[in-house]
Amino acid sequence: MRSSISSFKKRLRLPRLFFRRPSKEEQTHGGPPLEFERPIPPAPWRGIAVIVTIIVISATSAWELHSRALGYGPTLNDNEDLWTLARGRVEPESIVIIGDSRAWFDCDLDEFEKGLGKRPVQLAIAGSTAMPALADLANDKSFHGTVICSFVPMLFFAPPGSPPMERAEKTVKRFHNQTPAQRVSEYLAMPLEERVAFLKPDDLSLEALLNQLPIPNRSGALVPPRFPPYFDVVDHERRARMWEKCAEPGSKLAKEVQQIWLPLFTPPPPPTYIPQDIFMAKMKEGIQKRFADTAAAIEKIRDRGGKIVFVRFPHSGGLKELEDKIMPRQQSWDPLLQMTHAPGIYYSDFPELSGFNCPEWSHLTAGDSVEFSKRLVPHLREALKM
Amino acid sequence: MLFNSLTFVVFYVVVTTLYWSFRGWELRKNLLVVASYIFYGAWNPPFAALLFSTTAMDFWLGRQIAKAQNQSGKKRWLVASVCMNLSMLGFFKYGNFLLQNFQWLVARVGIIYQPPHLDILLPVGISFYTFHSLSYTLDIYRGVLQPTRSLRDFILAVSFFPQLVAGPIVRAGDFLPQLAHPPRLKANQFLWGLALMTLGLFEKIVLADTLLSGPADRIFDYPGPLVALDSWAGVLAFAGQIFFDFAGYSITAIGAALTLGFHLKDNFRFPYAAIGFSDFWRRWHISLSTFLRDYLYIPLGGNQVRPFRMALNLVIVMFLGGLWHGAAWTFVVWGLLHGSYLVIERVFRIFFENKTWAGHPLTRVVAGFGTYGAVCIAWVFFRASDFTIASRMLTGMFGGHPTGDMILTTRELLQIGIVTTGVIAMHWTMRAESFETTVMRLPAWAITAIGSFMTFAIIFTQGTSNAFIYFQF
Repeated sequence: MRSSISSFKKRLRLPRLFFRRPSKEEQTHGGPPLEFERPIPPAPWRGIAVIVTIIVISATSAWELHSRALGYGPTLNDNEDLWTLARGRVEPESIVIIGDSRAWFDCDLDEFEKGLGKRPVQLAIAGSTAMPALADLANDKSFHGTVICSFVPMLFFAPPGSPPMERAEKTVKRFHNQTPAQRVSEYLAMPLEERVAFLKPDDLSLEALLNQLPIPNRSGALVPPRFPPYFDVVDHERRARMWEKCAEPGSKLAKEVQQIWLPLFTPPPPPTYIPQDIFMAKMKEGIQKRFADTAAAIEKIRDRGGKIVFVRFPHSGGLKELEDKIMPRQQSWDPLLQMTHAPGIYYSDFPELSGFNCPEWSHLTAGDSVEFSKRLVPHLREALKM
Repeated sequence: MLFNSLTFVVFYVVVTTLYWSFRGWELRKNLLVVASYIFYGAWNPPFAALLFSTTAMDFWLGRQIAKAQNQSGKKRWLVASVCMNLSMLGFFKYGNFLLQNFQWLVARVGIIYQPPHLDILLPVGISFYTFHSLSYTLDIYRGVLQPTRSLRDFILAVSFFPQLVAGPIVRAGDFLPQLAHPPRLKANQFLWGLALMTLGLFEKIVLADTLLSGPADRIFDYPGPLVALDSWAGVLAFAGQIFFDFAGYSITAIGAALTLGFHLKDNFRFPYAAIGFSDFWRRWHISLSTFLRDYLYIPLGGNQVRPFRMALNLVIVMFLGGLWHGAAWTFVVWGLLHGSYLVIERVFRIFFENKTWAGHPLTRVVAGFGTYGAVCIAWVFFRASDFTIASRMLTGMFGGHPTGDMILTTRELLQIGIVTTGVIAMHWTMRAESFETTVMRLPAWAITAIGSFMTFAIIFTQGTSNAFIYFQF
């Protein structure tokens, strides 16, 4: 036993590590002296490297265990590069799902494949507007497939420069401008994300944790609302499933997320630097323009033989009340279908689609999303004349 | 390929392992050339061809300069090299800017001209590698460098991946001698290189991207008026962000080069503790300021001319230095501001340098903070995308919007305050010595603790592979 420890120490030169100075030979360059050589601080670098490695591995392991104890598990991060991989799978006749997180959580790809005959490509982006993805498909001259587009008025009409628009634009831009290095990074990141629980930039990164510090803000400060904590898992096809902790009715997490939706879906106050009447006129103009742009994009897809259907996915509780109050159906859904001449499926028009409970008011649980998708398929077939 | 990406981690491990496994020096150099082109091509493969063509042209022109029998012959070849490099830079970087300004100019005399918008993609780091390459022909012309006989060595000097896209601007004359003999693998040098890489990545990922970039972006992108606190906080955040971003890149590059046995010079030396603007430029982006000094300021006459001409030289150099950073008038104003600062400093020196109070520590501290404040004001033009934003920011900073909006959270204000205080305190503590000297004074346990903290913080922060600011230049 003793000899093996000694041999280990000898191999690592442990006793000498902290006292070692570089030899004269080590301090000179391989050839004749250079005009400039960087000085190397004389410290026991080997020992430092060994101990730093041990500390970092221990701290990282401890953080991983702590993250798992908090209930986090490994899952892919839904980012621009994962979306780009999915966008790359779109073929000329594909069925493509676009829009916001409701299409992302509530559509089960297996059920859609069974019912529609093709496996859809999931391109919905959480917290975003559908317009950039719709415009991208419309401008893709090879695309003449089917688009299933989720409609949440507050997101769909998000103005240029707003976070839902910027998020979607940035993501679509990545598809067109992705560098080979970014693609390789995504392929390298995926196996790590599938094994390491703490890799959650939205929840467990330094920035996210700093954001959670209970520091009161100045009164009157226009600070952005909080985003909900992690409550989904994502697979390679970008199929999102609600995390079990959130799916439990009345759970602490579900209640926390509910209370985050309300400020997030409440329109921010008009800016102080634009007169209110001008601002309101601009907003109305923006909504009319969005209707027109959507109709134009759909026209392009239709001209090539493609189809589109809008879907209003289930939502409930205080969030439903808020959405209905801010943008009633008569001012959003009805004119959308009228102006685009596109078919639409409003979940509450059909009893078989209406009875689902959204634990955090906005999305279906993983189990319910399968049943909902199964029931939605006949309506999709009818709307798309399949 | 970004240093702060998983692709780079794998690339670096593979290249470094192969590099030190190969025995032959020629084989190792070939490996570095291939690796450097893969590193660059990972952004946009066709631009690697552009990089090769400018390098090959300068290699040939360098030989022509050396072969020319007389000074006028040498000058002709040098002019060809300068024109080739600057026209390449002009087309890719300044094409649209020049056309827009031409349109504006002819409109003043009543000619309506609608120029075509050139859909030009800016090759990453073109300003850096153009200067790497240009330094070769300039030094051969000046007689301080003999042309290399190996095209491969010159390609490596220009494209060496650690410094290729965002500096430091490594002169061929500093790099080529290092290719003459193979470096030895020295454990301490290698590990110190890794330590520098860790520090650089910590500065970029944790300090620049996580703690400062968000508030800086929100303030500069906000379309309305802001109160003085938020305006200043945004500017201070940007001042910290650009330092940690660029110094982080430089130090990662220096560390990566060191692990491969190459020695690159410092690019930053605690600039926010500068006392005066000439001191600032001896500490900030040193490789650019010395490049401009040696190849532009001194040929213009430097300070060996009449005071007015010297002042004009300073302004010309800083004007071009500003334009080097980007094709926009805001960068020009940034450069001109620094040019004016340097001229004002010279005037102050003439009148006050010999006064007894000038050397008093309190005067130096006041001058130091004055320098920092003036540098921050200039950063407004550097960061703002147009003059409307710059003007709104400056008005806010000097109390012009008392009823403006407050958009930063208390947490963000604290972050900016802590990091800014920290960086200024560190720079003042270390301003008179090198970073290595400071490390040398630290006990091993402190180096271990700092190294562990930085490495874990990089992992913990989960950076999002944001590009470095200087990539766009």
